Amino acid sequence: MKKMGWKGSLFILPTLILIAIFSLWPVIQSFTYTFFDYRLNNQQKSGLYLNQRFNTDLFNETSFYVTMFLEEDLPNITDAEDQESAQVMIDQIHEVSAQYADLEGVIKISDQQREEIVHLHDEATNLISEFNEKYTLINGENLVLLIDDFQNSIIPSNFIGLKSYKDAITDKRVHTALWNTVFFTVVSVFFEFIFGLALALILNKAISGQGLIRATSLIPWAIPTAVAALMWGYLYDGSFGVVAAFFEKIGLIENSTDLLQSASGAMFATILADVWKTTPYMALLLLAGLQTIPSSLYEAGAIDGAGKIQSFFRITLPLLKPSILVALLFRTLDAFRVFDLIFVLTNGGPGGSTETLSIYAYKAMFGQTNFGYGSVIVMIMFVCVAIIAIIFVKFLGANLMEKN
Amino acid sequence: MDQQNGKLKALGIAVIVAFLFAMVFPFLWIFITSFKTTGEIYGAGAFNIIPENPTLNNYTTVLFEKGIMNAIKNSFIVASVTTIYIIFVATLSAYAISRFEFRGKNVLLGLILAVSMFPQMIVTGPVYNLFMDLGWTNSYMIVLPYSTITLPTAVWILVTHFNQIPLALEESAKIDGASPLQTLFRIVFPLAAPGVFTTAIIVFIAAWNEFLLTITLNADRAYHTVPVAISFLRTQFEILWGQVTAATTIVTIPTLIIVLLFQKQIVAGLTSGGVKE
Repeated sequence: MKKMGWKGSLFILPTLILIAIFSLWPVIQSFTYTFFDYRLNNQQKSGLYLNQRFNTDLFNETSFYVTMFLEEDLPNITDAEDQESAQVMIDQIHEVSAQYADLEGVIKISDQQREEIVHLHDEATNLISEFNEKYTLINGENLVLLIDDFQNSIIPSNFIGLKSYKDAITDKRVHTALWNTVFFTVVSVFFEFIFGLALALILNKAISGQGLIRATSLIPWAIPTAVAALMWGYLYDGSFGVVAAFFEKIGLIENSTDLLQSASGAMFATILADVWKTTPYMALLLLAGLQTIPSSLYEAGAIDGAGKIQSFFRITLPLLKPSILVALLFRTLDAFRVFDLIFVLTNGGPGGSTETLSIYAYKAMFGQTNFGYGSVIVMIMFVCVAIIAIIFVKFLGANLMEKN
Repeated sequence: MDQQNGKLKALGIAVIVAFLFAMVFPFLWIFITSFKTTGEIYGAGAFNIIPENPTLNNYTTVLFEKGIMNAIKNSFIVASVTTIYIIFVATLSAYAISRFEFRGKNVLLGLILAVSMFPQMIVTGPVYNLFMDLGWTNSYMIVLPYSTITLPTAVWILVTHFNQIPLALEESAKIDGASPLQTLFRIVFPLAAPGVFTTAIIVFIAAWNEFLLTITLNADRAYHTVPVAISFLRTQFEILWGQVTAATTIVTIPTLIIVLLFQKQIVAGLTSGGVKE
């Protein structure tokens, strides 16, 4: 094998750049989000502000209108002394805003500048409330509201440290979502494995018809999950769904509407749809593993007097172990991340009974635009996924890198 | 003994028939329903196996009014562009991983494997913000973040394939004065063509089926791909099953063709190195 020179590193550079921008940087970014009260729909929280910031646009606009309104109202302030203090106020605003006049957007400010603005706000508030009692100003009410924007142009830090994590630990909805995710993953992967293994064993023996079965198995795997979910949504329909009607008839459920409208029914329905979609995939992976087991081993086993059951447990299973572990690992991770299927089929309903972590995270981030809290839920998923992967690789010995 | 074998065989056949029926039945039922009239779907004829008054109304509505054709076009553009650039990028790095010795190779492989295990949700938020800042939402730029779901798999399958190609040919090419890039594209690429093709199909299907990134980054209907467009047929208050079934039938056809034509390559791709999707 050759040593790689600088030219060789150009070969992996594009991959590294893509992974860095679209996989690693977002993970770090998501992690950062978790420490902030980060909400896109709230002007004061729509960024990550470790320090307080200052919205110059808002401040400059406010200064412009406050001075204009005050000047307009000057004739209404009949007392000469008051008129003078109004003029002083106008000058003061001009003076403070002069230093920000050429600036745009959100900037950092010093504590001193902040005090100055707070001071300006307090003084202007007092003055206007005094005037409003004494005189009838044209812009009296507007001025009160406008002056508040002096204060609002100071954006406080939205760094909240570990608060979101603390909230998530006590959030019942997170507990339910985590439980739903684990339940969905364990049950669906268990059935996929049992059915997949049985199918692979039969297919390994069958000589004719493998092509047909392979093609048929690939279709559920290949169609988009969203399409499969919608299809099952129709079959499960309480009034017109043929599968729901069938289940009612054989007594599996009491009423055909229970399938999507009761908590246990909806969970059962999503698991069944997932098992339908991925059992064939599992079978294909296991079949590939089975086909690498040399038949001479079975012949030798038969000579030594091993029965069918014995040779399954003594020959097939041990030799199939690597394939089984790899298939289980990828299926477990996939099931744990389930999104499309549930999003389209039940959207987490009814009443949150099928809401998994990814659905909850999606709703928090894109429904409530709460990126901070949504990212915490995503981080919980990330940790779980890492634990699952470590368990499979370290303790069960799934050797993913053996080929390289 | 023979009798027992016969029974086992019969049981096996029964299981296979049941399995095939379970796999095919949902498609079959969707296909039947798509030709039924609205009255039949929502009435006493809901469970008829043969439609009473077969109609193509559902198809014409979905094709001409619901923009399914536009979604299919978007899916083709997005999936094709993703496949082309991902295969190019993945081929380069898979070749380097398979042929060169360099520090941190195992770290790179581990990284690629780890990325394939990431929950997709973790990249969605920051990528959404990035796209908002750059003004890339509602555009075909979405093919770039598609790399998180397709690139690791592609590199993984290609490395497996490159490892199976003997070194001797490349060495003689080098003696004849070919540069690494020339060796890759003149010697290795043609030999690896079946593997590259397999990878391309797997990448294409993964990109075609992507849902989460499209629904968040491309909220505009004009840029919806098939999975997202079809999920929007299901509105909260009225689900028009006739249209849903017709749309499902239409969008299943491209997948069906790909699967029937390339099933051997797909299975090879799925099972090489225990790679998912």
